[in-house]
Amino acid sequence: MASKQTLRRGQELRVLLVEDEPRMSKLVSRALVRAGFVVDAFATCADGREAISLFHYDAAILDLGLPDGDGLTLIAARDSVGRGIPILVLTARDTIEDRVGGLDAGADDYLVKPFAMRELIARTKALLRRPGSALGSLLPAGNVIFDTIAREVRIGNDMVTLSRREIAILEHLMRRLGRVVPKAVLEDKLYGIDDELESNAIPVHVHHLRRRLADAGGTVQIHTVRGVGYLLTELKA
Amino acid sequence: MIRGWLQSLQVRLALRVAALYIVAAVVVIVVLMSRAYDTARSLGDQELLLRANDLARYVTAGENGLPRLEIPANLSAMYQPPSGRDIFAIRDANGRIIAAAPPRFGELVAGWPGTTSEPVRFDVRLDAEPGDFDGLSISRETVTGLVSVSVGRSSAGAAAAYSLMRKFIHDTIWAVSILVLAALVVGILGIRSGLRPVRNISEMAAAIGPHAMSVRLPDKGLPSEISPLVTAVNRALDRVEQGFAIQRQFTANAAHELRTPLAIITAALEEIEGDDDFGELKADVARMNRLVEQLLRVARLDAIVLDVTGVADLNEVASSVVATMAPWAVARDRTIAFKGFRDPVLVKGNRHAIRDAIRNLVENAVLHSPTSSEVLVWMSADGRVSVADRGPGIIAADQERIFDRFWRGKGVQFEGAGLGLAIVKEIMNAHGGRVSVENRSPDGAIFTLHFTIIDRENEKLSGVSPANKPSL
Repeated sequence: MASKQTLRRGQELRVLLVEDEPRMSKLVSRALVRAGFVVDAFATCADGREAISLFHYDAAILDLGLPDGDGLTLIAARDSVGRGIPILVLTARDTIEDRVGGLDAGADDYLVKPFAMRELIARTKALLRRPGSALGSLLPAGNVIFDTIAREVRIGNDMVTLSRREIAILEHLMRRLGRVVPKAVLEDKLYGIDDELESNAIPVHVHHLRRRLADAGGTVQIHTVRGVGYLLTELKA
Repeated sequence: MIRGWLQSLQVRLALRVAALYIVAAVVVIVVLMSRAYDTARSLGDQELLLRANDLARYVTAGENGLPRLEIPANLSAMYQPPSGRDIFAIRDANGRIIAAAPPRFGELVAGWPGTTSEPVRFDVRLDAEPGDFDGLSISRETVTGLVSVSVGRSSAGAAAAYSLMRKFIHDTIWAVSILVLAALVVGILGIRSGLRPVRNISEMAAAIGPHAMSVRLPDKGLPSEISPLVTAVNRALDRVEQGFAIQRQFTANAAHELRTPLAIITAALEEIEGDDDFGELKADVARMNRLVEQLLRVARLDAIVLDVTGVADLNEVASSVVATMAPWAVARDRTIAFKGFRDPVLVKGNRHAIRDAIRNLVENAVLHSPTSSEVLVWMSADGRVSVADRGPGIIAADQERIFDRFWRGKGVQFEGAGLGLAIVKEIMNAHGGRVSVENRSPDGAIFTLHFTIIDRENEKLSGVSPANKPSL
């Protein structure tokens, strides 16, 4: 599990949790704290709304069925403070309408109960990896750290030399760590760099990228999902 | 078909009314005809009697004291050839012929028995004359005493009268037939227009389904015979709708009530480090999670009929399922590959349900695949999605049963509840499609979902679009 320091140097990542089931709230809080977050947990919409307006949160995790209303109403509160706090919705309902409704209402992601804590932590981190979010400038994956501002890649203290195309690909893979990046997205991204993109350009770049990361001792792996895209995972310890 | 046709209220009424009209028309025509013929005959008889009386009146006593006939010239002309249509013969009381025209008739009549005051009919044929003559013989009192008068007329003459009558009857039959037809048409149109509200209501009733439960049938303007049925149907719909609502509510509540404690147990167990027994406990909970998940899905499929009226891009849905499940497969040291199209493959249906169906197949395929093998998902442009693995395959005897609820293969230990394929089958049934399974060479199974594609240009179902060439 990543330490607080790898999440963000010198600054805490603050997560708002609104969940009315006390046992669940305690377990989720504990898992988040262990993953290096600072957690404020509340049990009602009203408390959650107040907290959003008073403090700066990097992400919010909301339960849908709360005693004083639907967690989705907090999205309006988030929008009113004008900060783009990414929101992860937890729900015990998974009817089709709920899934679509939740994302339409402005939630960034959702998890259906019961879920694995690992999944919750991974999803929360993924929200923070979005451009403009808390982890937007420094992305960790295994022992690889991607500085999106300097556009550098480091493994431990060593710089890894990569081409512009390889860096562009790696940035996308790291922002969506553990999830598939469609090949079409990478192609779009590379069009700006390579005006004449050959049909096998992406596989060739990925191949080079894979070898350079391996040569530098990176504990990450790029998997090919044939016909769809690529997937970056942290190597199992 | 014929049975259904005979069941029709319209046809039944029309048939009965038509039969009634036809019988009535036949009776009317027969009565008319017999009355007409009767009248004609009695009119003829009347005329013959009058003529016999006339002739008797002209019988006078002759110079020799014997009776003789003196008829005026105009009357006499009637009995002379060539007009010759009418014949007569008069005999005195002794049977002697007083007068006859033509004479041949007199000879014939001479041999006949005497007559009384009651007319006696005859029907004769004269050698020189064409056709039959019919007439009557009767005794009449004259100045010279009783005479026997026989008068007749050519049936050719009567034939003319009868042909006139036939023409009249013919016309009558036509008039009656047209009247009957008109009455039938009016009757059928009346029935049809009377039943139109019933047809309209039937169409409305046909549109009622789980997605349009609140529709009720209007009973305004209905024939009073039908409105009790409509009221009863509406009440039945009320009860069904209520039942649906309760079922839905129960499913939603059950989902919530079951998941929350499970989520707590799952999360709590994750925190604890333990030995092998503890690992097994975690696996048990994972299985429980999966079972509850699938039970809820089945309950939902049973309680709520899928809305399959939307349009889904099969290509997009399948590729997104592969993308979503690839990390999970990779974590299990298996890979998933997708072979699709650049263009959408549009099918009619519910994309969320289709996603569920494909996800179930991919999940099964990954669970049954050996380590480091690849699960392949591919599209066919005619609306098929196939999922192939390199597992043990399905033996022929099981290929039907695997889609039954709670069916599980012998000797295969997975956390499945045996509901995944039953769910897939139900989803496909709801889409009017099907799921098929075959074995793969050299090993493995191929599951295929068969949908019906929509031709985008013509908005109708069609075959393969030529623009859709496989990519990758």
